[in-house]
Amino acid sequence: MKHILQVLKFEYLSCVKSKSFIISTIIFMLLIMFTAFIPAIISSVVSEGEKGSGEGHKRIIAVMNNAYEENDTVTAVFGKYYPNYDIKTDSKDIEDIKNKVDSSEYEFGVVLDTPVSYTYITKNNSMMSRNSEILNTVITDVFRTVSFEKAGISAEETGKILNARISSSTITTGVDQTKNYWSAYILIMMLYMAIVMYGQMVSQSVVSEKNSRAMEMLITCAKPSHLMFGKIIGSGLAGLTQLCVILLTALGSVSTIGANSIPKEILEFINFPIPIVLYAVLFFILGYFIYSFLLGALSSLASRSEDLNTLTSPLMILYVAAFMIVIMSMGADSLNGTLMIVCSYIPFTAPIAMFARVALVNVSAIEIILSILVQLISIYLFGMLASAIYRIGVLMYGNPPKPAEIVKLLREQYKANKAIKEKK
Amino acid sequence: MFYPDSGRVLTDGKQIDRKKIRIGYMPEERGLYPKKIITEQLVYLSMLRGMSKPDAKKACEKWLERMGMSEYKNKKLETLSKGNQQKIQLAATLMCDPQIVILDEPFSGLDPVNAMLLKDVIKEMISGGTTVLFSSHQMNYIEEFCDNICVLNSGKIALDGRIKDIKRSYPRDRIEIVSENADKISSFIISKMGDMILSADIDEKEETVLNIKLRDAEFKSRLLAGLSECGFDIDSFKVCEPTLNDIFVEYTEAGI
Repeated sequence: MKHILQVLKFEYLSCVKSKSFIISTIIFMLLIMFTAFIPAIISSVVSEGEKGSGEGHKRIIAVMNNAYEENDTVTAVFGKYYPNYDIKTDSKDIEDIKNKVDSSEYEFGVVLDTPVSYTYITKNNSMMSRNSEILNTVITDVFRTVSFEKAGISAEETGKILNARISSSTITTGVDQTKNYWSAYILIMMLYMAIVMYGQMVSQSVVSEKNSRAMEMLITCAKPSHLMFGKIIGSGLAGLTQLCVILLTALGSVSTIGANSIPKEILEFINFPIPIVLYAVLFFILGYFIYSFLLGALSSLASRSEDLNTLTSPLMILYVAAFMIVIMSMGADSLNGTLMIVCSYIPFTAPIAMFARVALVNVSAIEIILSILVQLISIYLFGMLASAIYRIGVLMYGNPPKPAEIVKLLREQYKANKAIKEKK
Repeated sequence: MFYPDSGRVLTDGKQIDRKKIRIGYMPEERGLYPKKIITEQLVYLSMLRGMSKPDAKKACEKWLERMGMSEYKNKKLETLSKGNQQKIQLAATLMCDPQIVILDEPFSGLDPVNAMLLKDVIKEMISGGTTVLFSSHQMNYIEEFCDNICVLNSGKIALDGRIKDIKRSYPRDRIEIVSENADKISSFIISKMGDMILSADIDEKEETVLNIKLRDAEFKSRLLAGLSECGFDIDSFKVCEPTLNDIFVEYTEAGI
């Protein structure tokens, strides 16, 4: 036990102190803070732009009215939709408007050919411009207002009729997917990346110890199983530290800088309900142990990092498959389907599958507990298996053994172990 | 790590107690963390061997100084030359103040100065009562340090015992005489004592050395008596013991 703690501490510290770890943490933090900042930056740039145009001279929108006799309604409706612009309706010449738009004197120009058709004159037609959409609305609005007026309904009443808003509220008795979908999606992605990232960190560190033959010194100081448990728990804690730092940064930056600048709709999107985050952490821990025990054991069989791929790829394929199943089930809205239910109890798929279900659909407590139990038991079994393989692997150099050879060696070891116990 | 096929490990006649007896091991393949600070990994390894942190730090200082490596203590291991890395490895082995030290080819890759340093350290340990298990194929070092030897051939013990006893067990039928008149002695022996010897040749390298092979070891004293009667001026007269090298070759030749 003492050895496990010492190895754990050493591995944890060397992980946390390593340059790559620090750099990646900082990059993640900056990325998150930057993302939280973006809306603030954008809105400040935009509002500055608007201020500038508001104080001096307003930008001009030229409207050439060939459809109606009067310009009043046109000016009024345009003014309603473009409050920060001067609406100029006295131009009579298309070429003149074109020239002035081209020289940026006008923001853009509109030629109303008939009440329901128009020409839009703009200098640069960008993908992101919503002008033509707005114009469609404006022109429809003009048409309706004029028509209503002709029918004897006042502009005021027209406004009321046209602007009738429908308000609604939804009562959800189960889990509200609309609110959690994106946060769950982000968390599932994080879970997936974190398990594989930290699992591979364990892999790398085992192989480098073998490659540098530091293993030969270590193995004479402590039991292989202690070395392995210490290493895996230590790296896991380092991973958890990184995740916590990232989550806290996200929380901090959203609630301080982000709170004022991020639009409400987006804030609602990325609201991470605390129970769901806690579940994510729990399933990260479970998934991490399931995979890192196996990865650690497999990598102990490799002598060089080149061998790692061949050894771990079957497991990695399994892992990617698990992820794909979950993502596809999310897309197909079948998180409570048979496939997902089965996946919730298979140790390789359970961490991600069960988390997705907990976050997005109603799952009974018994199911959750059962899935966690299955995972805990498999962690125990994988841990035992891994420490047996590790013991064989760490002093084995040369080509990695085939599965049949591993089984044979495990059997021999088991027999020898038994014989020694009987002697005692 | 590996289960024994048979046998037990005894210390002072009792089953070894790994909690009481510390073992320092230096593998032939040098192995430490290349990318970690030297002090850090030395302290870590000593703590795994059961030392407390302050003790480990003290021992680390002490041994790095002993090895003349104090200036490198906060460097990464990979920045050191191979010989220096070897010294760090030795420090890692000895830091926990072990009662038993296992050294596997400790001299490979060391320059003469460092080899001297290592020799001194080993001798110091031996005189301090540490048990040193020394594995090497450089026989001169073995002859220098070891009391007991064990020659392994294809994984089986070919020979074991005290070096002195082993050498004594060889027939003492080879005599080396050093004299200015080696050629005269040679012809004298061949003509007068021909029945006692198989051969008497002047050494190829030294003309003052005469190698004699007796027909039987018991003729030694008669040979000596005969020579002194005739009044030859003899600088030395001794029985040639086989070198460890010869013994090693003899026992492992068949397997190679």
